[in-house]
Amino acid sequence: MEGLTLLAAIALPIAAGALLPVVRWKGRAARDAYILCLTILTTVLATVAIFGNFPRLSLIQFNDRLSFALKLDGIGRLFAGLIALLWPLTTLYALGYMRGTQKEISFFAFFLMSYGITLGIAMSANLVTLYIFYEMLSLSTLPLVMQKGDSGSIRAGLKYLYYSLGGAAFAFIGLVYLVYFGGTTNFVPGGLFRGVAVEHTAQLRLGYLLCFLGFSVKAAVFPVHGWLPTASVAPTPVTALLHAVAVVKSGVFAILRVTYFSFGALVIRASYAQYIPLALTCFTIVFGCSMALKEKHLKRRLAYSTVSNLSYILFGALLLTGQGLAAGLLHLVFHALMKITLFLIAGVYNDRAGIHEVGELHGIGRDWPVLSAAFALGSLAMTGIPPFIGFISKWALAQAAVLSGGLLPYLGLTALLVSALLTGIYLLVPSTFIFIGRRPGNAPGTKPVETEIRISLAALTALMLAAGFFSRPLVDFITRAASGLV
Amino acid sequence: MEGMLLLIAILLPAAGALMLTLMPWLNERREDRCLFVGAILVMECVVVALVALDGQRTLVLFKMTEQLPIALRSDGTSRIFSAVMALMWTVSGFFSFSYMKHEQNEKSYYAFYLMTLASLMALTLSGTMVTMYLFFELMTFISVPMVLHTRTKEAVAAGIKYLIYSVAGATMGLMGIFILTPNISSAYFVEGGSLLAGSLTISKDAFLVVIFITLVGFGTKAGMFPMHGWLPTAHPVAPAPASAVLSGVITKAGVLCIFRMVFYVIGADFIRGTWVQWALLGCATVTVFMGSMLALREKVLKKRLAYSSVSQVSYVLCGLYMLDTMALDGALLQLVFHALTKDALFLCAGAIIFKTGITRVEEMHGLGRRMPWTMWMFAVCAISLVGIPPLGGFIAKWYIAEGALSTGAPVFSWLVPIVLLISAILTAAYLLPPSVSAFFGGMADGEAVSALPKAEPSLMMLVPIFILSLAILLLGIFPNFMIESFTRLANALM
Repeated sequence: MEGLTLLAAIALPIAAGALLPVVRWKGRAARDAYILCLTILTTVLATVAIFGNFPRLSLIQFNDRLSFALKLDGIGRLFAGLIALLWPLTTLYALGYMRGTQKEISFFAFFLMSYGITLGIAMSANLVTLYIFYEMLSLSTLPLVMQKGDSGSIRAGLKYLYYSLGGAAFAFIGLVYLVYFGGTTNFVPGGLFRGVAVEHTAQLRLGYLLCFLGFSVKAAVFPVHGWLPTASVAPTPVTALLHAVAVVKSGVFAILRVTYFSFGALVIRASYAQYIPLALTCFTIVFGCSMALKEKHLKRRLAYSTVSNLSYILFGALLLTGQGLAAGLLHLVFHALMKITLFLIAGVYNDRAGIHEVGELHGIGRDWPVLSAAFALGSLAMTGIPPFIGFISKWALAQAAVLSGGLLPYLGLTALLVSALLTGIYLLVPSTFIFIGRRPGNAPGTKPVETEIRISLAALTALMLAAGFFSRPLVDFITRAASGLV
Repeated sequence: MEGMLLLIAILLPAAGALMLTLMPWLNERREDRCLFVGAILVMECVVVALVALDGQRTLVLFKMTEQLPIALRSDGTSRIFSAVMALMWTVSGFFSFSYMKHEQNEKSYYAFYLMTLASLMALTLSGTMVTMYLFFELMTFISVPMVLHTRTKEAVAAGIKYLIYSVAGATMGLMGIFILTPNISSAYFVEGGSLLAGSLTISKDAFLVVIFITLVGFGTKAGMFPMHGWLPTAHPVAPAPASAVLSGVITKAGVLCIFRMVFYVIGADFIRGTWVQWALLGCATVTVFMGSMLALREKVLKKRLAYSSVSQVSYVLCGLYMLDTMALDGALLQLVFHALTKDALFLCAGAIIFKTGITRVEEMHGLGRRMPWTMWMFAVCAISLVGIPPLGGFIAKWYIAEGALSTGAPVFSWLVPIVLLISAILTAAYLLPPSVSAFFGGMADGEAVSALPKAEPSLMMLVPIFILSLAILLLGIFPNFMIESFTRLANALM
């Protein structure tokens, strides 16, 4: 069976993660090598799965309507590729960052498992499979949020859990609607109801809205965004990879799946099921940025910025045009690159220089000029200054909004611009102070930064910068993946 | 490769800045540093001249996506702006060689000075809206350190204010670029505009609102009301030569962007006679008047000059927004002469601070006897800024006023000349008394003043100011070659 490659890419890291606490490790080097090798091996498997054209792999048939099946299509390839690219780099960073902390083994065990589960979300062939992996991701990342074990982390973890489970419950009701009226949960490009006379439109729209609201918990759409800023108590590799990419974008990915592959644009277009989500994303874009501006804690500020940016992606996708979807997908990739870089650098500031608040950043650029320059470049990209990547995706989103016309798209365009301005203020002003300010005399000294961290940050920054100049293959791929879905 | 020269004009000062940063031995002794920076500046002037002589060229650097080319272009407009900017930059650069002796952080100053020049050159040579937006933002970020230079609390606050206003303005401009892009036939600039006025994606009324917001946004850099607030705060806190270029040159970058948007993207015909034209003219005339009034009230010389810039740059915008060839001539003349004059005035103010530490207007009594050359040139520039013939300021204002009258536009055809006249009187009121009291003030207690030592600055400071003053005088008497080329350009655009 050829399709087993897909299963292998998912099962390998889960098994490897489960084995990690069981094996008695001789030394740190061996354990680190094991973690890194298996992560890279998984990436290799995922790459094979992405480039090979494997058939659908049906594993379990629960009943005639529900099954557990895997298949990679255009947008699945994109998401899997993004995850497979960023996971090894973050693992490398984490190896340096987590060295010598408590419960290091359990951290990496769950970290590895989450890799497999996220790949599972990308490779799901139907909504039930996606739902199973989605719930697993909530559970496997919970210990990572609670890593520190103090009361703050426990509370953050529980908040995350309640939000996630509540959201999943909503999504589940929507899923029932879908199975009942659609007869299957398989992903079909353009939706299950494409080319058939749609009955029960009213119920389907309600079902879609429930699905959207349910999955929007992980995508941190207002009013269910609350868990994300709180969860920034987690160790930085978790905030960076899971709370800026894997977990939150799984939410976005699930919404893309139900919008374009289950309910279909046909059912929801020009109805409240499109307008309510669109209005929510427009509001979240501005809301997230305003909160980021208000927030003094560096990591929470970045988390609020993620809240805003996730809604950029959803805004593009909910325009229900091919262009909008392509723009959203582009921002999905580009935001991941920018935000992970910013978060990981913030982690170094946080852990190696004792900087938690934005106001304490003053003058740190003198100690770490290269690192701080990377932070400034990331800020410029987030603000959307050409020729950095943030501009390309914002440009695409704006063009999609202008071309689709109408009140809400223009409202969204305004939201994008307000958000760009606020991003300019809440990221560029600190970036300026990083270089011109002076460290207060009583500030804790800086600790050396591990080589692993340096390599990983250098690679990510280079990737972020290069993507601005060589984005064409990616844009072409996304345009192909997004075509034929509307 | 065709158009390679355009790239050199941008990369030369950028390379200079990089070398200053990366090769410490170059930056160790003041003599080496000044020689190096001076050589780069002179070479840059030569390159700019070559670009200007080379005729119209377009160079596509790369394409971010298929619809987003980053391209350079040299044409009539870029020729005027890049020549003015490169020359002002060079003259102020030479002035700062002596001036910067009494400032801190001299080493980093020149790197940012050259980088800003590079970004300005790139802005003038931009060939598409997105390229222009790119370098507009870049120029903001690179010029912030010049404002922050002294690192005092005041300077930092001013720098942040400058940054936020600029980013806000650029964002407003970006909105216009977003909405304009599906409505134009070419991503590249086209003389006379390339708007598909027949098939707009939104209603014409909504479109005009967008255009208004866009132009107000780019007007931020030009200090146009209602986005002028940053200018009087940011310009005076920089070291004098930096204030000179910020006020004399960087404000023109805002004018350039408006120029490109109006004449190369939207097209003058689309705006002419709509409420957008009247509203923008209204903003510009309000700014002319308000800037002069505020300058009159201000007692600190550099701040007074900054308010004066608010007013004078809006003269340019008044002429531009009349959308008339003659008024546009006047606008371009005003652009050239204001750059020369304001640069010279700030350098004079710098020389005064450098030699005597005097910063306030009322302390200038009797200064004419201590530094006669400086104050003479200050007086010449003041007279030109007021607009008294035969100095350059007169001819510029004359063309703007006559152009305004000839359009026959309702209200503004007579309001603009009147406001220009009132502003001229106010300019006289805030610039001439200091010049007069410098020469004749303190007569009564003459002994006390004459007892003070002579304070004429060195030739390194005097010669740059002298060159600028001489240019104001000569170009004011022989403006014909400029007027001819400006008229050619204006006719091609409308």
